[in-house]
This record gives sequence, structure tokens and C-alpha cells, in this order.
Amino acid sequence: MSFTNRCIRLAAAASCAAALTFAAAVNMPAGKVDLKSAGALAMGPDGILFVGDSVGGSIVALDVEDRTPSKSGAALEIKGINEKIAAMLGTAADQILIQDVVVNPISKNVYIAVSRGRGADAIPVILRAAPGGKLSEVALSNVKHQSVNLTDQPQQDRARMETITQLKYVDGKVLIAGLSNEEFLSSLRSIPFPFQAASKGAGIEIWHGSHGRFETQAPVRTFVPYEINGEKSILAAYTCTPLVRIPVSELKAGAKVKGTTIAELGNRNKPIDMIVYSKGGKHYILMANSSRGVMKLTADNLESYQPITKQTEVMGVPYETIASLKGVQHLDKYDDASALVLIGEGASLDLRTVPLP
Amino acid sequence: MFALLLLSAIHFQGGVFRVSGWDAPAEPRSGWQSIFTVYAGSGSDVPPLLGVYSVDAGELVFRPRFPLSPGMHVRAVFRAPGESEIESSFDVPAGAIPTATTRVAQIYPTSNVLPANALKLYIYFSAPMQRGDSWTHVRLLRDDGSRVEYPFLELDQELWDRDHLRFTVLFDPGRIKRGLASRAEAGPALEPGHTYTLVVDRAWRDGRGAPLAAEFRKTFRVAPDDRVPPDPKTWRIAAPRSGTRDPLVLTFPKPLDYALLQHEIEIPGMHGVVSVAREEKEWRFVPETPWSAREYQVVIRTTLEDVAGNHINRPFDVDTFDPITKSVSTETVTLQVRPR
Repeated sequence: MSFTNRCIRLAAAASCAAALTFAAAVNMPAGKVDLKSAGALAMGPDGILFVGDSVGGSIVALDVEDRTPSKSGAALEIKGINEKIAAMLGTAADQILIQDVVVNPISKNVYIAVSRGRGADAIPVILRAAPGGKLSEVALSNVKHQSVNLTDQPQQDRARMETITQLKYVDGKVLIAGLSNEEFLSSLRSIPFPFQAASKGAGIEIWHGSHGRFETQAPVRTFVPYEINGEKSILAAYTCTPLVRIPVSELKAGAKVKGTTIAELGNRNKPIDMIVYSKGGKHYILMANSSRGVMKLTADNLESYQPITKQTEVMGVPYETIASLKGVQHLDKYDDASALVLIGEGASLDLRTVPLP
Repeated sequence: MFALLLLSAIHFQGGVFRVSGWDAPAEPRSGWQSIFTVYAGSGSDVPPLLGVYSVDAGELVFRPRFPLSPGMHVRAVFRAPGESEIESSFDVPAGAIPTATTRVAQIYPTSNVLPANALKLYIYFSAPMQRGDSWTHVRLLRDDGSRVEYPFLELDQELWDRDHLRFTVLFDPGRIKRGLASRAEAGPALEPGHTYTLVVDRAWRDGRGAPLAAEFRKTFRVAPDDRVPPDPKTWRIAAPRSGTRDPLVLTFPKPLDYALLQHEIEIPGMHGVVSVAREEKEWRFVPETPWSAREYQVVIRTTLEDVAGNHINRPFDVDTFDPITKSVSTETVTLQVRPR
């Protein structure tokens, strides 16, 4: 019986169609994945996990075969997650770093990028937290995967490196924000997935206009996909403070793109992660910051913010700070009603779902 | 069976846990972990240590996924079906306390004068360092000893090189770029005419877990903003003699970025060693083979920056309403040199 026939016979035709589109259609040979580091994570369709390997200079797509939908109403709470992970890895909590967390929207399993060790010899580990809180390792010894190098010979130069600060899958492309440890350049990349051998995702030049006067090639630190009037955009936060909107259609290799500033968030606002959500018929952006806590921005009518072409004061979108969420280190959308946070102000970190404010 | 159980014991040797005195049957449906579990650390509510089970010569063996860290306390619990539990604790030897020998080797720019819009600092260490809390170990002080609040872009990812020998510190670009709320609110981090001290504290741990041998301080004076792109036409070229391996020397009127100088200038067809001297105002190239009497190209990529992030072809922040008087559209600039 062919795979297609089996699909037709199955009641769960939708999930089979998804499997055909990606896991089955993408040539992802099984084998050992040799990660040099595991930083930013992103979920693609059909349970495909993207791992940003800054040290290895690559993006790896893993088919973690995680396609079973969760029961509704799932929640997660793992107290002292850094201590628990350290215990699993046979080391002390101060000898691990949690680099990123991401939710598989299908299963609600959470993937965690961990560095075992803090030195140059640190070992990358990917863990999975099930909705009940059980932690397990994602074995990389024989997993279906595909990878793409971001430069020709990524590890030849020991000094020069690009750190991947954010990774998202949008409309068949993996968007990657990175920051060089030498050049102050924008290095937003757009790489079609499945990866093609030749595509390294040439950089997109993102410029930032502040008050219409000064432009700089501005590294994007974090971003989130967002649909405005049927047009896919990304809301991007620069390493300097503005929040800008960039249509995904403009994100082509070699393009020079100027973001539309929609908010200036002020000094010391260093966005780490952003999610978009709806509540009570309104749209919001939730943004975790390194020093200003979690901010909730009204995201309605973002399309009305026009590109800044002449010197004018920016009318920023309104925002409020969520007092109950202090010490959020990572943020992802869990479901329509809750967000996942890695949170903690002392040595101990918790991974838990919180209601969307 | 009873006699065997009495002799059951858990051993920890060579990083491997072993149950002796018990003939391991076939693996139970719930897995070996339901019979034999190892926990690392002192926490009571921790998941089992990751690892692999096997049966070697009839003995149940557990090999941890990673070697246990020195000083770890571990607890191994063996529950034979229907029998009382055996629990044994072990301590991994702590190992010698590493001596504090790692130092800050150099901070670039090496000049003791920086423009107010300086963008980057490179901290070089004599041995590999640990990451994760780097920002707590770097601070900037004014000449009265008060601390400058948030002068740097404190990226959680931390911009290290692959060997953790170099840490890149970016000044907060929001406080450098003109016309941004950050700069309007907090002002620039560095003010011209003042003196600042960058302090790297001793508590920063190296790759072995040892603190630094000493605190490091770099004191510098701040000059006005530099928004002038470096212009290769103003560089002096000292031509080497043909038939020799004399260095080809470029001299710049102001310091350029130390890291980028290592690879953003090339002489096509020539291999050699690059060095940077005179407070990053001099680039020297010693070829592997002697110079010929022909003309050589010195190719400079426009990604080369000065210490304020001005590129060869444009300043750090381009004023789009002021006309740009000098513009270079190509991605490289070429200088010619003919050995004497």
C-alpha cells in the first residue's frame, strides 16, 4: 500500500497531508548530527525543529518525529529546571546554560537548547519537556536531519563568528538574525527550507531610519512573524531600541530593506523574545526584555504606521509593563491562552506556562 | 536467590555504575531504570542521570551519558523486584583547585584615547574563559569613580570567539546613533573631554573554573565623535624591496578595528603573516615568498571599520538628508604598490 493510499484511508487525513508535505517530502537522511553548539531554536511545520549552531556556523533541521496533537488544556510547570537539567547531565547547575526554549505547537512538547559546560569545550544537548513535566534527551545519534552552512568554511577562522540571536520559520523560509563578533552589520538571512545545497542565505541589508534622518545598517536582535491585512510581516527589534515592521516579501537575499519604525521603546530596552496573540478581539505583542521586564504592546492597526521618509516624531504603539512577570529569560507562545516562560531572578529557574495577559 | 540478594552491592568505578551479586534477567518492560536509577547532585526532586544500561557478564551496568563533574555527589538506587531497596552514595573526587593564572592579555583599541562614539572593545585573555555571566564582570567607571549605567549592549548570547579567548564588547548602539530615544533619555555613554576606566574584575572564571590572576583596568580619555569614514587614499604605503621578504607596511591616520585588520586587507596571489602595530594605525604583511619587481594590488574590503564603526564607504550613521560627499560603491578598494 502506498503512503498516499494509507493517508486516504486514515481518518486523520490532515496530519498525513502535513507529513507528506514535509517529513515525507523533505529529503532528510537519518544519521548522526554533529552540533558544535545549540543556541536559538525554532519550530517548523510538522514537528521539524531548527537548531542554530553558532559555533558550527550552521542551521540544522531535525525531524524529531513529534506530530501527535496534545490534548487541549495542557499546561507545564517545571520548578528549578536548571537544577533538574544539571542533575540529568551529571553536573552542577552553575555549569549549564539554557540557551533557548521553543514550543511545538502540535504536541505542546517544549524543546530546550542546553550547553553542558560554560567553556569552549561545552557540549550542546537538546532536551524535550513533555506537558506533564517529564524531561528527556533528544537523541542526535541517528535522527533524520538536514543542515545548511551559513558561510563557506564556518569553523576555519577561530576568531570570527556570527552568533545567531533569533531563528523563525515563516512561509517556507528559515529567517535567521545574527550578530557578528567583529562587524557591526545586519545579517538577517532568509533560507528556503528544505535547504538547497547552494543556498547560504545571502544577507539582507536592513537599515534603520530614526526620526527620518540617520541610517545605519542595523543588526536585528529578535523578531516575530506577524500577519497584517493578509500580508506576512516580521516585527523586528534592533540592537538599538526601535521596533520595526518589515514585509516578509521584501526579505530576499541581497535586498536592501528599510524597516518601518512602529515603536521606540527607550533606553535599556533589550528585547529577547516576542510573541503575538489575540485576546478579546484585540491583537497584542508580548515582549521579554533583559532589563525592563515583560512588555505588552497593542498591535492593532500596525498597518497604519507609514514608513518614515521625512524628519518627524515617531508615534509609538502604546505599551504596558506586566509587573507579575519579572526575570523572564525566554518567552514563546504555548497556545491561544498561554505563554511559556523561562523565568527566575535568582540562581533557580522555572519553566512554566502563564496566562496571556 | 536469597543468598545472592544478600550480596548485592552497587559499585562505582571508572565512571561506571555496576550492580554485583545479582544475576540480571531479561530487561523488564518498564526498562532497567525501573530497577536501577542513579541521581546526581544533592537535590531530592531531580530526574535520573542520563545514561545507557547494559548487562556485562551477568551484571547490570549503567554508563552515564556524560562523565560526572568533579565534586559531584551521586546516589544510586537498586530495587530488585520484590526485594528491599539498596541505596549507595558516592562522591566524585573534587580534583585540584585550579590556580589563578589566566589574565587579560590585551584590550583593543590599545590607544588611551577613544572617540565618544567608540563602538567596540575586544578583551583578549591568555587562556580560554567561561561564558554565561560575563556582563557582571565588566564595568565602566567615570573619572570620579562612579559607574556608567548600561554603557554596553549586554547580549545574553555573549560574543565570544570559538576558543573563548576573545570577548567582544559593543557599546550600546542606541546611545551612539543620533536621533534615538535611548540617546535622548540616557545620553551618550562616553562624553568628550572626560576620562573613563574599563574594569575587568578578578571573579571572571576561566575555562578551568579559576578566577583571573588579577583585575585589569584600562583608562582612556574621550575625544569628540568620529563620523569620518576611513579613506584608503590617505594611507601611506611603505613599499618593500623586490627580492626580499621585507614587510609591506600600511600606515593609517587613525586606529582601525584590530580584528577586522587581520583579514579585511589582502594581497591577491601572496600568502604571508599579518600583524597590526602602533595602536592599530599600522598594518604589516610579511610574505612567505620574496616580492617580485611587478606591481601588487592591496585589496581592502569596505567592511573594514574604524573604532567607531565607520566603514570604508560610509559613516556609522549615514545622514540621509545631508548629502554624502564621499561615496564608494564597490565592495573593495584597491591600492597599488610596486616593490622598490
